Amino acid sequence: MMIQIIAAVIATVGFSVLFGVPSKYYPYCGVIGGAGWLVYLIALERFSTAGASLAATMVVIFLSRLAAVKKKCPVTIFLIAGIFPLVPGAGVYWTAYYIVTDQLRLAAETGYTAVKVAVAIVLGIVFIFELPQGLFLKLAGRKKEHH
Amino acid sequence: MGTSGQEKTEPTMNTSIEYDEDEVMELAMQAGELLLENGAEIFRVEETMDRICRYYGVESASQFILMNYILATAGEGHGHMFAKVRHIPVNGSHLDRVAAVNQLSREIARGQYTIEEAREALDGIRHMPEKPKSVQILASGIASGAFCCLFGGNLMDCLAAAIAGFLIYVYILYISGPHLSKIVGNVGGGAFVTLICNLLYMAGIGDHLNFMIIGSMMPLVPGVAFTVAIRDAADGDYISGTVRMIDALLVFICIAIGVGMGIAILSPLTGGAAL
Repeated sequence: MMIQIIAAVIATVGFSVLFGVPSKYYPYCGVIGGAGWLVYLIALERFSTAGASLAATMVVIFLSRLAAVKKKCPVTIFLIAGIFPLVPGAGVYWTAYYIVTDQLRLAAETGYTAVKVAVAIVLGIVFIFELPQGLFLKLAGRKKEHH
Repeated sequence: MGTSGQEKTEPTMNTSIEYDEDEVMELAMQAGELLLENGAEIFRVEETMDRICRYYGVESASQFILMNYILATAGEGHGHMFAKVRHIPVNGSHLDRVAAVNQLSREIARGQYTIEEAREALDGIRHMPEKPKSVQILASGIASGAFCCLFGGNLMDCLAAAIAGFLIYVYILYISGPHLSKIVGNVGGGAFVTLICNLLYMAGIGDHLNFMIIGSMMPLVPGVAFTVAIRDAADGDYISGTVRMIDALLVFICIAIGVGMGIAILSPLTGGAAL
């Protein structure tokens, strides 16, 4: 599990480089990506893939918003790389794989799971962005100011 | 309020208090353009343009933003009107530029810039150096290796995925990016990844072909379009959200087709190694 989380951190930082995140924010991106994957792994023991993705997405977005408020920069910087491990890239692969190898039942199953994961990510993002900005300002210890 | 046509006749008196409407709008549009082409959300573009216009005193400004268009107007009914439409090709994501423009607009709102200085600062942001290609390729390889590990590969798989990750980014930077359409580029990318992983597998590097392919196809996955699409839709910018989501889905499907074609062609040759 430790190795997995380290891998998630490395992967997240790698993608931060590709998306042109300013280098001073790499540590934040890495921590957010690692935390997301940690929650995903823990949640996966109790819940389905989609449920775990929802929980992990919510944690990633929450931390991203916190970091954005703290560092006064766009939240996109933190959340895109952090959410990357959760995007169902593997689901897309398995779906294509099962279609090509004529295992249609499995293809439908994995494709359906991939869609469910995507929906879970959507819900996670929408839910956490619904939280008021004031909450994050308070958590980050900043006074409310006019933007 | 005088129209800006009249203002222009006596510029020396007014410049310090009232700014030229056209110049302000041009500045706001450039800021919006920089944000949009580098992968910012619609509401951030609106907010930034609004902030700039308001600070420089153009109250009548309004703008309408789609995923690759900015329309902006300013003016009060009669007299001089500013109106401009600009098409903005999305050129990948440079989040450092988004952050820099965002920061600049806050500093403008705090009164730290004249229009002239703000324009220069924007030019500076537009020409901000990209990360060197070698660094991007290295990052892609390392990230691919790490992803392979995340999805269950062992050390040798990760090594193979890292090699394939290097090569796929070379492909993205030098072949598909500048020369191929989105569809062909991504189908080709998926097939290319599958081919390389198969070659590595046959050469004895890596034990699980599936995990190798999953890891090294991650640099193709449209994570930015997908995430920004959701944010746009959540903000109520449904048109841009929908278009970006279709964009992301199309890329997903193209990668899947490419990988599928690769497997279909290669697995008989490798003796069903992928099975």
